[in-house]
Amino acid sequence: MYNIAAEQSIEEKLNILSDAAKYDVACTSSGVSRRGKKGYLGNSVAAGVCHSFAADGRCISLLKILMSNACVYDCKYCKNRVSNDVPRATFTPDEICTLTIEFYKRNYIEGLFLSSGVIRNPDYTMEKICETLRLLRTRYMFNGYIHVKTIPGASSELIYSAGLLADRISVNMEMPTQESLQNVAPNKSMQSILVPMNQITDTIAAHRLAQGKQARMERNGINDYLVDTIWNRADGRIGCDKDYSETNKMLSVSDSSFKYPAEQKDLKLKRDFAPGGQSTQMIIGAGNETDYQIIKTSQALYQRFDLKRVFYSGYIPVNDDAALPAIGTPVPLLREHRLYQTDWLLRFYGFDTEELFTKDNPFLDYRVDPKCNWALRHLEQFPVEINTASADMLLRVPGIGPNSVKRILECRRYGSINFAMLKKMRVVLKRAQYFITCNGSMLGTKLIDYDYIASRLIAEDREEVYAITDSGTCARQMNLFTDFNLATG
Amino acid sequence: MLTCIYEAFNSGMGHKNIKLMLEPIREYTLFDEYVHVNGDVDKAEKVRKSVISKISPHVYHEMCITAMAYEEDVLDNIYHVLILGFSLGENVLNMMQYRDIMRNHEIRLRVGREANRFREVIRFHQVGDVYIAHIEPKSRVAEYLGPVFADRMPSCNFIIVDDVHRDAVIHPADEAFYMMKLTEDELTSILETEKANDEYTDLWKVFFETIAIKERTNSKCQNNLFPMWTRTHAVEFN
Repeated sequence: MYNIAAEQSIEEKLNILSDAAKYDVACTSSGVSRRGKKGYLGNSVAAGVCHSFAADGRCISLLKILMSNACVYDCKYCKNRVSNDVPRATFTPDEICTLTIEFYKRNYIEGLFLSSGVIRNPDYTMEKICETLRLLRTRYMFNGYIHVKTIPGASSELIYSAGLLADRISVNMEMPTQESLQNVAPNKSMQSILVPMNQITDTIAAHRLAQGKQARMERNGINDYLVDTIWNRADGRIGCDKDYSETNKMLSVSDSSFKYPAEQKDLKLKRDFAPGGQSTQMIIGAGNETDYQIIKTSQALYQRFDLKRVFYSGYIPVNDDAALPAIGTPVPLLREHRLYQTDWLLRFYGFDTEELFTKDNPFLDYRVDPKCNWALRHLEQFPVEINTASADMLLRVPGIGPNSVKRILECRRYGSINFAMLKKMRVVLKRAQYFITCNGSMLGTKLIDYDYIASRLIAEDREEVYAITDSGTCARQMNLFTDFNLATG
Repeated sequence: MLTCIYEAFNSGMGHKNIKLMLEPIREYTLFDEYVHVNGDVDKAEKVRKSVISKISPHVYHEMCITAMAYEEDVLDNIYHVLILGFSLGENVLNMMQYRDIMRNHEIRLRVGREANRFREVIRFHQVGDVYIAHIEPKSRVAEYLGPVFADRMPSCNFIIVDDVHRDAVIHPADEAFYMMKLTEDELTSILETEKANDEYTDLWKVFFETIAIKERTNSKCQNNLFPMWTRTHAVEFN
């Protein structure tokens, strides 16, 4: 490891530190709606704004950088681990602020995403992060979106300060189980992740209650129409009757909310504590965990810790390590895609993890999307009559999403709906046609039969599946000799 | 547009026999009579008041957004939606059983998407203490962008120029923004400003290049999400 910080230009630093930050998935600017103020720069839009799309197709919404890629930890999956020989750089707080402000004024970004390697120790790093955010909010008068990563092991006062200065705060979970985390990140423990997560949850809830809001974050949109979702179930909720003493004992927290921020002036800014909620990230494909374990963990995080988002990151091998997939192993893009689809089913479609998996298979069927997969296993509930079905049932039809459901519900108050109208409402009829009727008739003659529908849905998705698995390095020309075993001579 | 609607409504020829079109008309038909209508503030105001009081302010707002569209049938569509609105009331826009409402919905969605897209891809260049941006949209989205950026940068001087429709949004720092039509000369001189790149533009290009993960390269996805026609002024691609 070498440090050339003294000679580095801001361009070199940006090059090193954005390259180091690119494996962090979260780049959303959503969750907070805040109007601009005279004398300040910036506002925030709840829906989020994507300003550009990089060559990998991922959106660029925030200036995603590390404050420093110098790190004392030795996590096996990380490019910036202490045992790697890579160029190191560290931004000064002023450099980060200037970059953010100038990029923001040119409409390149919607805000700042700030993370960091662990410099010296977690508290020192977190203090530097807070100093940067404080400067940005108070001297540079920045009123836009800030997403900050907490450093595992940092003290609670510093995390409280960070939450007051930022809009969203996140603690990376990295692995869904204690065992797999221990394997790849010897310096981290599940407790060092769950304790701050728990404290953040409680502090967000306390701030919300103080403003007269409900303790849990709003889950607006289609969830307002649904009767049974993971959000409104009694078990697993904050403040419910369920006894969490054992969990709290495990986390060694009796009263988990923060007492004071590290800097008293942060309180005087009168900002909400992380109004955009908290999120986390899990690496997919680095350990041996199943899809069921991952999604079950996500649901528990949503219900227990009221997380706004769980991000999934297909593991990209950057280090040569026996405990991890070898360098050159394809990124599990399709698995990541299906996990995101399942995650959406939990948050916006009223599904539960147990419904989406069968007892004998803890993995998703990657050939079709998880909603189609569920529908194929529950054909007895179909076809659904569009003009009379409930919102819950409409949402469970493949090809019909939350927006279409809202349009259908609104429109059918004034007359009946037919297939031509559904098409105009952007219902994906190539999937939905097997599961719906309009005024009692299906679109053409369709069998309600597993094999018949499954073969057609798999054929429909084949191109998409191929496009995802093929993007990147997998494409190659077929070869008669290797693929068909034709011997020469 | 509102004057056209006023004249059509009072012509007494029957709604089915009238088609409202925006000039210039590209293809004339043989047996129709073409009537040119000049804008009239009083008549337009009457229509505006009627729509707001007899249908709803929401419908008026939606029609204003629809009117930004470039589709040839947009004016005719608004006319027929308003006729339906006068008879069916404030919920008219949800009644997609009517072909005109469905078409209106399509146009509205497209305009909304285009306006939002330009909110994302518009790029400002610093010239002195003024930030200037150029856009080349299909619809007249500058009206939508004015209030959006006035809220985003209330204490900055900025100008947004629609090179296609020659509309400009001018926002002096800490004041309300206003819109104006640019003359040919003004447009030519303001186009020069785009050549003034600075160090932050170069830094942005560095960031844009390095933030992409090589192992996940997916140009098809990038093209879908960031279509070529919107990249004209996106500095990271130039």
